[in-house]
Amino acid sequence: MNENSGGVDDVLAADLLRGHTDTIVLGVLRRGDSYGFEIFRAIRQTTGGAYEIKEATLYASYRRLEKDGLAEAYWGDETQGGRRKYYRITDAGRAVYRRNVDAWMLTRDVIDSLLDLKK
Amino acid sequence: MNDVKGTTMTTDPRDAEVLHRLLDEAFAPYPVTPESLDLKQEMRANLAARAAELRDAGTAPDAAARQALAEVGDIGALLDEESASTATTWVSEQRRHRVRPKPAFVVRTVLIAAALVAVLAVLVLGALGLPAAGSLALAAIPIAGLLVGWLVADGLRQETTTNYPFSRPVAIGFGIAAGLLVVALGAASRLLAGFEAGWLVVAAIALVASIALFTYLGVTRTNRHKPWVLRMTQAQPPIADRFEKDPAAAARFGIYTMLLWVSAIAAFLVLSFTIGWAWSWIALLLGWVVWFLVLTRMLFAPSTTK
Repeated sequence: MNENSGGVDDVLAADLLRGHTDTIVLGVLRRGDSYGFEIFRAIRQTTGGAYEIKEATLYASYRRLEKDGLAEAYWGDETQGGRRKYYRITDAGRAVYRRNVDAWMLTRDVIDSLLDLKK
Repeated sequence: MNDVKGTTMTTDPRDAEVLHRLLDEAFAPYPVTPESLDLKQEMRANLAARAAELRDAGTAPDAAARQALAEVGDIGALLDEESASTATTWVSEQRRHRVRPKPAFVVRTVLIAAALVAVLAVLVLGALGLPAAGSLALAAIPIAGLLVGWLVADGLRQETTTNYPFSRPVAIGFGIAAGLLVVALGAASRLLAGFEAGWLVVAAIALVASIALFTYLGVTRTNRHKPWVLRMTQAQPPIADRFEKDPAAAARFGIYTMLLWVSAIAAFLVLSFTIGWAWSWIALLLGWVVWFLVLTRMLFAPSTTK
């Protein structure tokens, strides 16, 4: 539940992950339209609860994605409780996701070899 | 009951009330803007879902709502983040984000275009009734469709300065639609030359399939513009054209238009009665060409006023 509960590694991992928040959200949206809490839960479940992105960080990400045209928002038609704001990935969003994933895989390989992890 | 994914979420009215109050408190320090109201509304549903989850895990209702809000983190940063627009121009941004065409793509396009010209030549010769080209023309129709489809799909897969590339399936879809359109046109051209009615069926089916595919793909498309393009179009109103900025130019153009067409039509009539119908239409064609040249010149004239 609690993000980075101390320890240098946790902080580092959190910083590394934060740089990829937008791509992570796009990755969730690629599977289908979703709203805030569902996206939050999807990320939490994928990491097995070991790490979660703060919702405020996610809200900032949604706004960025929307402003950049990578995702579109629309309101759900729930009658009970608050209406949910759903997000849908756009074609530009898919392209950026692909590109970021490629960049990440390249980066990962480079860092792996720089850190001498792969013999 | 506690399935937050489904539509039957447990929203205790008392819970909603607590959330309402907590949200009001949280947003109180910030000015009320459309953005802040939007965020508040969005957070409400998400908080209700999280509070329901906490409640089902055994947290007391009041504490659940409180904890849900606390977990969100700092919303102040979100609300303070008013877009500080920097002084950038369209041209400077375009230069910064410029995407050069890939050499391989350019070469490919030229080669396909050359092949397409050859295939079209065969098609035209076949339609004109050249016996040697007749059997070749049959194969030329699907080949022309394939080449055009390839050109279209390949082009759409390219990233441009303003747009991201289409995803592979969508680009291929557009390619297929364009190819089908070419096949329809090719089949129709056979029909003009007086071939059997089977071509009519082929043309009709290809045309309908092409239109259906184009429509489906067109309707389902979403944004493909790059962020900087969206920012620029939001920041700047579209550029007004010359006629809007300079009504005198518009009036001048109106007079030129009238003069030009009156002369063209007069010339057409005179030529029709003297030389004959075979050549008199050239007067109208010339009038049309000159009219468009004048229009271009009037709209996009280099500004003389400094």
